Amino acid sequence: MARENEIATHHNNCLSRRAFLLRSGMVAAGSLVLPLVPGLNGQTLAAQVAHYPRMFITRISTLERHTPVLFNYPDHQRNSTCMLVKLGARAGGGLGPARDIVAFNTLCPHMGGPLVGTYKPAEQVLGPCPFHQSLYDLTRHGMIISGHATESLPQVLLELEGNDIYAVGLLGLIYGRHDNLKA
Amino acid sequence: MSNETSSPLFQPADSVPLPPRDADVLTTCCDYCIVACGYKVYRWPAEGPHGGPEKGQNALNRNYTLGPMQGNWLGPNQFTQALHNGRLHNIAIVADGDADVVNVGGDHSIRGGCLAQKVYSENKLTRDRLKHPLLRIDGVLVPVSWDLALDVAAELSKYVIQRHGESAWALKYQSYQFFENTYALTRLAFRSINTPAVAHHDHPSIVSGASGWVDIGYDPFPAAYEDFALADCILISGTDPYETKTIVWNEWILKGIRSNNTRVIMVNPRKTMGAAFAERHGGLHLDVNPGSDTALHLALQRIILENGWEDTDFIEQWVANKWDADSDAGQGTRDTPRQWRTTWDRFQVDGFRAWKQWLLAQEESRLDVAARITGISPEKIRQAAEMMARPRAGGKRVKTTIAIEKGNYWSNNYLNTASIGNLGVILGCGGRPGRAITRLGGHQRGGRNGGRYPDWKSPNKMPGRRRQRLDLDRWVEGGHVRFAYVVGTTWIQAMAGSQALSETFQRLTRDNPHQVRSRDKQQIIETLKQRVDSGGMLVVNQDIYLTNPIGTLFADIVLPAATWGESNFTRCNGERRIRLYSKFYDPPGEAKPDWEIVSMLARKMGFEGYDWRGPSEVFEESCAFSRGTRTDHQVLCTLAGLRGMTAHELLRSYGTTGLQCPLFLDGNEILESKRLHAFERKDIPETGPAGLSVQRRQIMAFKSHTGKLNLLKSPWGIWADFYAFMQPRGDELWVTNGRINEIWQSGFDDVQRRRYIQQRWPENYLEIHPGDARQRGIESGDRVRIASDRVPVQKGLILGIKSDDMWFSGLMKHNHIELVSGQFEAVAIVTPAIKRGVVFSNYLNKSNPANSITPRVPDPLSMNYRFKISSGVVTKIGESPYKNSFAQMSFKRRTIL
Repeated sequence: MARENEIATHHNNCLSRRAFLLRSGMVAAGSLVLPLVPGLNGQTLAAQVAHYPRMFITRISTLERHTPVLFNYPDHQRNSTCMLVKLGARAGGGLGPARDIVAFNTLCPHMGGPLVGTYKPAEQVLGPCPFHQSLYDLTRHGMIISGHATESLPQVLLELEGNDIYAVGLLGLIYGRHDNLKA
Repeated sequence: MSNETSSPLFQPADSVPLPPRDADVLTTCCDYCIVACGYKVYRWPAEGPHGGPEKGQNALNRNYTLGPMQGNWLGPNQFTQALHNGRLHNIAIVADGDADVVNVGGDHSIRGGCLAQKVYSENKLTRDRLKHPLLRIDGVLVPVSWDLALDVAAELSKYVIQRHGESAWALKYQSYQFFENTYALTRLAFRSINTPAVAHHDHPSIVSGASGWVDIGYDPFPAAYEDFALADCILISGTDPYETKTIVWNEWILKGIRSNNTRVIMVNPRKTMGAAFAERHGGLHLDVNPGSDTALHLALQRIILENGWEDTDFIEQWVANKWDADSDAGQGTRDTPRQWRTTWDRFQVDGFRAWKQWLLAQEESRLDVAARITGISPEKIRQAAEMMARPRAGGKRVKTTIAIEKGNYWSNNYLNTASIGNLGVILGCGGRPGRAITRLGGHQRGGRNGGRYPDWKSPNKMPGRRRQRLDLDRWVEGGHVRFAYVVGTTWIQAMAGSQALSETFQRLTRDNPHQVRSRDKQQIIETLKQRVDSGGMLVVNQDIYLTNPIGTLFADIVLPAATWGESNFTRCNGERRIRLYSKFYDPPGEAKPDWEIVSMLARKMGFEGYDWRGPSEVFEESCAFSRGTRTDHQVLCTLAGLRGMTAHELLRSYGTTGLQCPLFLDGNEILESKRLHAFERKDIPETGPAGLSVQRRQIMAFKSHTGKLNLLKSPWGIWADFYAFMQPRGDELWVTNGRINEIWQSGFDDVQRRRYIQQRWPENYLEIHPGDARQRGIESGDRVRIASDRVPVQKGLILGIKSDDMWFSGLMKHNHIELVSGQFEAVAIVTPAIKRGVVFSNYLNKSNPANSITPRVPDPLSMNYRFKISSGVVTKIGESPYKNSFAQMSFKRRTIL
């Protein structure tokens, strides 16, 4: 909880948060930490998050395990349908005391198949895609389990402020777009 | 707090530049599996301007944001940058959204979808491409000039041939690496040098994969992909196209399941996604024990015959009878590669009735016996027979297609292919829409022989008079190879019993006292001559990356090859479709395509006729060698000549659609061939095709001396001794291996140079059944060792005298089998998808090759290794880091529906 409070303190207003992210190149953004991969660093992610809108999704107290909450992010344009779910199992990028709350865009990055309604509670998996059966592991940053997509399922970066869950960024390009922020 | 947060392996891009409307557009095909989906390469200067999201503003010709199934979405893994004419360009490689063949509408696999990431770039994981020739001096590979490297290679080649004979000069090569390259390599080896010491990347000899089909008269690739959508029932043995031939599944088999109610039967010890999906949609998964397929085929045939479900009309018309069998200079059905003057009455029969009589007398054809051998329930076997053969109401025949791949023919090569071929014969498979029999295939078909294999020089001989092609692994081991030219293959880990082979290479190269210590050309040559004269071997390795260990440890000369996208090339796919693979960027450093390296080497060796000025000249010369083959495209050369253009440019005009071979000329028009064995085909003129086209029997009949199909006996007895030896003993399990969807190129691209694939498969894996795992205290994510101390390795050269000399017990009796030990490690995945008693790993992980424990005892009839059946002890040796990480590897079930 300490960390959530810590993040929350940076959220007092959006401007200072963005300024902080851009200035500090903080390696942690939301519930994720990026490794120091050559050519990549926390700065990149921080800069990215700074440019994404911060959008309220839901309250943590109202979440039920395995009951997905649909929302649109980063806008309300085409292909923006995302899904937040409390997996009941710890997950990469997971939010909350159990680190089990994650959110993803719901279009299959192979050919845009709709994955809404394909959540499998027993396995914490999204899929199979109704088009060509691709499967995604929601505990592992939307990694493909088996299938054809050339990208992981785009993961929505989350932040917790008190009881409120916010979307603050996206890892990966949404199917069908050429830029997440230009729909 | 850091342990409270998680780190993905890398940060994926969230935007990608679009190609502008005036971007260069070149066509190519995927470099990986045999399906060869059509792709378009978009190229524009790195500094832009880039394209816009409106249809008129980008070369992809789409309005962004795209809807589902629109094709032409450009994801980050489809984008890279590369030099073109020395200038940095943006490169987008996108499945052709306008394709109406193969990958209709721009469908693609995960592998092809990442093609852009195989392109050389100093800023990516491809930065370690070989850029200059290397020579090992004082044990270290140092850059040298092309001239020095090739002068040494040519001088040593000439010396070895002159002093030790041409059989001491060996070529081991990736046999499908485009027609231009394979033609040049085999022209040098066969026509100029005439050595029998040549083997492909995946066999110890030059062999036929579906050897039983060759004797029956089936071509291995006669089908059209359309057949998978038209069939009522598809029997798939030893593979799952969902995993390995993705677009055949996505675009053709799924189409059949969804629109034609096609029932799919999958025979595989592993329940893969395709098998699970087939089962869900009225099909079957037959969980066969590794290596037991022949018994299944015999039982299916018996059920079909006992119920009278065979295709009587087809059999009457197309099966060789006694008189056919004895025709043609008295050889009859024996006039086939494995039967003529060799095995006498072991396989051939006098037509359908005699074969039926033989079959019904076989113990293994009885349902209860077959069920016991195969481990499949009798009920499922009966259901499968009904599904594929029982006529519908009104007597309408079921259209059945049969497709096989390596699980079938790399466990029990001759018997499995012969027996499933027989099944095809009695079901009327071959030549008609929806009624195909075909291999699904591995690599694309880019092999072209530039000369004839000198069979008479091989020291291997079967009992009788038939020579077998030389087994190169054993030839090397015997110390007979002094110069080994290794092109585009790992050789060591790709061969069975690889640990023993590695020791042989170490002994012949690095452990030899004659090592290069000087940079002086003459001294280098003298040292290496001393090496080869002292029984050692010089390895010249030509590849795109420095490969471990063939390049890093064993080669003295390493030559940098240019590859896909770096020269114009041609190749065929699994339905014989030929396309041009365009050059679209500069090869790294001084790398050159194989054909050009061969041309330089051959000229330095003093051979003439290697002065090609470009890849199309090589292609045009090779076209004549395609005549009469299933990929006959001689007409491209003829027509290009008439039209005053190069054959490559003519083929380029057919884009990603290409042309389906064999091709014929009708006037000035090209006739394609959708299928082989197409006995109902009407479009070939009565007088036969014009010009230089060759019309062989297999175009409109079958590939035997009579044009009819030869039913064969497939006696379980000739396999039983080896199979009994390979059965798991004590706490051993069956160990089998194969491909998995996300990985094609185990040697260089996928797992080695793509973060996206590395996050999924950072190491070799082992699927193990929960019951077997529990007994061994193994959980998903644990590191396990798979070991055997009884890996059979065949030694020495075989002169078969008596008929049983070549079967396993004969080899054991004559001390041709040595038992060695081997191990590999993997990360365990506990899953009910694998059959109890069987474990499954990737077929070729270079660091942990499953082949460490596969038996190096080739099928005595066909010389195929039996890669898919080994046995070993599986033990937990600790936990892998992936067990508790969210960044890499997933242990979820792959068959969730």
